[in-house]
Amino acid sequence: MNRPLTTLVWLLAFTALAMLPQVLSVKYYLHLSILALIWVIVAQGQNLIQGFTGYVSIVQAGFMGIGAYGSTLIGIHFGWPIWATIAAAPLITALFALLTGYPSLRVKGHYFAIVTMAFNLIIVIVLVNFRELTRGEAGISNIPKPWDGDRDAYFYLALTLAAAMTLLAALIARSRVGEILRAIRQNEDLVGAIGIAAWKYKLFAFVISAMYAGLAGALYAHFQGFINPEIFGVAQSLDAILAVILGGTGTIAGPVIGAFLVVFLPELLRFADSFRLILYGLILVLATIFMPIGIVGVAKTVLARLHRPGARHDG
Amino acid sequence: MADTILRVDALSKNFGGVRAIRDLSFDVAAGEILGLIGPNGSGKSTTVNVLAGLLPPTSGSIVLGGQSIERMPEPQRVAKGLARTFQTARVFPEFTVRQHVTIGCHPIRTVNPFASILPLGAASVDDDETAAHVDDLLRLCSLASIADRPVGGISSAQQRFLMIATALAARPRILLVDEPAAGLVEHERQELAELVRGIRKRGLAVVIIEHHMALIMALCDRIVVLNFGSKIAQGTPAEIRANPAVIDAYLGEAA
Repeated sequence: MNRPLTTLVWLLAFTALAMLPQVLSVKYYLHLSILALIWVIVAQGQNLIQGFTGYVSIVQAGFMGIGAYGSTLIGIHFGWPIWATIAAAPLITALFALLTGYPSLRVKGHYFAIVTMAFNLIIVIVLVNFRELTRGEAGISNIPKPWDGDRDAYFYLALTLAAAMTLLAALIARSRVGEILRAIRQNEDLVGAIGIAAWKYKLFAFVISAMYAGLAGALYAHFQGFINPEIFGVAQSLDAILAVILGGTGTIAGPVIGAFLVVFLPELLRFADSFRLILYGLILVLATIFMPIGIVGVAKTVLARLHRPGARHDG
Repeated sequence: MADTILRVDALSKNFGGVRAIRDLSFDVAAGEILGLIGPNGSGKSTTVNVLAGLLPPTSGSIVLGGQSIERMPEPQRVAKGLARTFQTARVFPEFTVRQHVTIGCHPIRTVNPFASILPLGAASVDDDETAAHVDDLLRLCSLASIADRPVGGISSAQQRFLMIATALAARPRILLVDEPAAGLVEHERQELAELVRGIRKRGLAVVIIEHHMALIMALCDRIVVLNFGSKIAQGTPAEIRANPAVIDAYLGEAA
């Protein structure tokens, strides 16, 4: 697709989303939409490290937890306003990502995935056991919500931040940094041989992806008003990976679509009652096997095929 | 020699008990084409990998333009003027040919990549200079006509020329090419020879590893012969062809 058309599609999608609070009669769906927008931020971050750089990280939910607990605890102990604690969350998460990224990024492929998963497990273990600070498995409730818990207002906050983070991901993707990240995914040995210190860019992608997750975690905490360690486990990190794969790895629209899928799909399958999660798992497995390029990837292929006969003469 | 670009002195590389390179010394001058030949397993590729910084040497020194580089990481050596290509085709298949050469310009670009994230300054001087430099290299390496094709879709011979173009993008002073003629047919080998001479004409030194003897003999000013990791001979193509030790170890009677 050419640039003006792509921009138009994005504007239409944004407008449609912005109208959701007016058109959704079931308030539960608005609730799910806010969660989905928060997951858009997580998935965009995940896509930077997994989709563009080719390093599958399994610690995104752990980083969400650091952002969520960080924002909440700073609010409780230092009395900062909500805005300040949400803004601080990605910075705290970045610090953790810098410390964990250096050892993790020394290994490649499956080893990187396993090391990051270990970090996610450690984060949960610390959250469970450091009771004096985190109140353990019981979690923290009554976390302050902005606008007295006005859901419509929070929807627009989440929408604005999800859009801004998507725009930032697009800017990174089309910059020279994005090009280097894609080069690392294609052939990391060659990246070093042509004079690029790959570790710098890998660490950048990892830290930025963590900042995305940290911001999303803080948004989650002040939306739900309650957090506990279980929410930020490895299972949720896998959801971030699935959102990227289902939507379309290495695309900008993919994580948006994927995030809505991983939030809404389990709910839409409620009719299947206790078979719900089995059905969800089955859909994910089949989609990953038969549609590894994701929904956006399939759409692009179809569009390219439709366009080929007529639109080739300008190239 | 006043214009020595690369000086390798007493270089050794052990893999456990295997001594892949033993006490290897040679010089390369600006504008010189140096051949590195020897039987399979004689340490040629290991030498390139150690020189380029992919493998640390066990002992010995590597001096590039008067500066010791043997402890320098690989990307920094490229920035200092040492570029290399690989024996097997290593490319970024999803990029176009032009993008592929452009990313090779990274070490010589004046604008930091991170500054390109926020679209503040439009087309900068850096972008224009880079584009002109890339166009020049695409012409030099006969890639201009396929500049906008994805790298995964071009022939393996074209990918070999692309690897050279990408290595040249960093404006190196010395280029190490590891078996560039592997898989090339006769007229492509001729093109390759022309390209290597063209590179030399630009003042670069070229170290070439190759098994195709006609190409090596026609192209090189000097040849270093390795066997079991040691240098067994050094000299002009004529001297090498007449050297009994080289004939015995590598060339055989027919050459």
